Amino acid sequence: MSRVVFDQVTKHFGDVVAVDGLSLEVHDKEFLVLLGPSGCGKSTALRLVAGLEEPTKGSIIIGDRIVDNVEAKNRDVAMVFQSYALYPHMSVQDNMGFSLRMRHVPRRERHQKVLDAARMLGLHDLLRRRPGELSGGQRQRVALGRAIVRSPSVFLMDEPLSNLDAKLRVQMRRELIKLHRQLETTVIFVTHDQVEAMTMGARIAIIHEGALQQVGDPQEVYQHPANLFVASFIGSPAMNFFHSELRLQDGQLVAHSAGASFPLTEGQARALAALGGEKAIIGVRPEHVLLDWEAEENSEACLDVVVDTVESMGHEQHVTFSAGDTTIVARLDARRRLREGERLRLRIDRAHMHFFDPDTGQRIE
Amino acid sequence: MDATDVTANQRLPLIAAAGRLLQRLKGVNRLGFALIFLAPSLLIFGAFVFYPLVKALYLGFYETDPFGNQGDFAGLDQYRTVLSSESFRHSLWVTFLFALYTVPPGILLGLALALLANQKLRGISIFRLMFSSTVATSVAVASLMWLTLLNPSVGLLNYFLVEAGQPRIDWLNDLDWALPAVSATTVWLNLGLAFIVILAGLQTIPEELYESARIDGASNWSLFRHVTLPMLSPTLFFVSVVGTILAFQSFGQIHILTRGGPVDATTVIVYSIWQDAFQRFDYGVASVQAVALFLLVLGLTVVQLRFLERRVFYQ
Repeated sequence: MSRVVFDQVTKHFGDVVAVDGLSLEVHDKEFLVLLGPSGCGKSTALRLVAGLEEPTKGSIIIGDRIVDNVEAKNRDVAMVFQSYALYPHMSVQDNMGFSLRMRHVPRRERHQKVLDAARMLGLHDLLRRRPGELSGGQRQRVALGRAIVRSPSVFLMDEPLSNLDAKLRVQMRRELIKLHRQLETTVIFVTHDQVEAMTMGARIAIIHEGALQQVGDPQEVYQHPANLFVASFIGSPAMNFFHSELRLQDGQLVAHSAGASFPLTEGQARALAALGGEKAIIGVRPEHVLLDWEAEENSEACLDVVVDTVESMGHEQHVTFSAGDTTIVARLDARRRLREGERLRLRIDRAHMHFFDPDTGQRIE
Repeated sequence: MDATDVTANQRLPLIAAAGRLLQRLKGVNRLGFALIFLAPSLLIFGAFVFYPLVKALYLGFYETDPFGNQGDFAGLDQYRTVLSSESFRHSLWVTFLFALYTVPPGILLGLALALLANQKLRGISIFRLMFSSTVATSVAVASLMWLTLLNPSVGLLNYFLVEAGQPRIDWLNDLDWALPAVSATTVWLNLGLAFIVILAGLQTIPEELYESARIDGASNWSLFRHVTLPMLSPTLFFVSVVGTILAFQSFGQIHILTRGGPVDATTVIVYSIWQDAFQRFDYGVASVQAVALFLLVLGLTVVQLRFLERRVFYQ
């Protein structure tokens, strides 16, 4: 059993609240990603598990043991640092074997374990080199290897891929997923990169200003973001938001925004009515903004816009439109030729509209 | 063709010629150009280092008459006589002892203080300031301070000795204690520098290395042994080289505290040079010793570079 539980964990640094009442359970053998912008407290959360920081309030449980008074070295966790934290004066072999040496593992056994891990990571030809003689990717592997040789019950990874170039990062992402499958160990992986989070995590925990915003699998957080923060943080290009006013028209609830009106489905109307307010924020993902050439004048859920900028991705294009003061980003097929300054009409896919309470930022559903 | 065209056309070959001239100047005068930039430091080094060095070498080949004037050419004979003399061998021995008493203890103390001052505690900067303050203390002030501390009748050291029921020691006039007493003053005097350099070295060690090692199961001693010491090795190496050179060049504290006594117990080479040159006005003998000291320090530094540096890890 190597689950990790944050139980109402709060961490203050002076007046700064780094982690604010975090409650979260990481299941046994799960790959959980802590995602959030820099300074959101995700690294602090990880360091609390490692035992490098002590919680101000609350407890951390690893397996079935409350580890609040357990030293870092006795928590049976291994950590991979963003900077790799390799000992520059030691060879790859000594770096990887350091923790075993500190635990007085006999030389022969130590050597065997290092060799096994090195083979797994393709490092066996580099064992005598020093970190300074390795490429960034190789150093990254050594850092992983150093964690693996200990066969800990929990791996903690603090943005381990962020110092790699884009291509290598994609490659290491896959290798880490495979490695996790092979090792069958609990992994807590911290990143600020939502692509990394979406592609790697079995579940993603999104943290903002020290507080947990949402936990769920990648599809769940993408399709049902719990609040405005999650909605805006997950997805690239980011979700479009419109402030809207709700009015009753001919017995139907209609949201007015950016010069357009969006008649709401029954489910949406019921949820919004329950809230009782007259305002809501509508969120629309760029892939749900459609070019509708046939739209009639004043047809519903349509916006008259001007093409602002076109960013071509090759297989698709991200187009920024402006409609009065509102900017709308759409993800469109690359074959549609669009000129900057061109006037056209967009339609919003009503079935995929998200609604948020403008006061609390919470999802309305 | 109008007027501006004419001037432009006439100007072109001129510009080209100027460019060629500049090119040639650049090629020929790169060294000259470099010399202009080097001139200020070359001038200072020349006047205060190179010229005296050559002059000392030259003076060593000549005897000096009792009035301090250059005498007959003695060639290597003077070098042979002086370097094999009992008094030179004695001052060489005293110098080695002095270096031994000052360099290793200085580094150890500096390291200990730097380790203490590197803790993240409230008000630690006050201690950092205190520990580094000897850098701003002149040799004269430090010597006078220690002269008081070491005073046989009113000094603090003897006060403690008496309190502990021990006999008083006449530190600076005791054959066995004079050199250690002068060494202690020197350690204190050079401590600030060692402290600052070592503390700076400590602060360049990435915190993650310690964190990683802690998670890996390292004890405090292991952290020091496997992280701090190897990462600090270039700094310690630097401090040991500079400390050795400083020890071999010490003069002021010896002059003020013991004047080389008692019975030459604290006559290091530099002090012997001073005595020969400015008390006996025997510039020839002094010069021979100066050259010997120069070669000695040079040799020691080379040896340190060769052997110590092998154990040093540079990132």
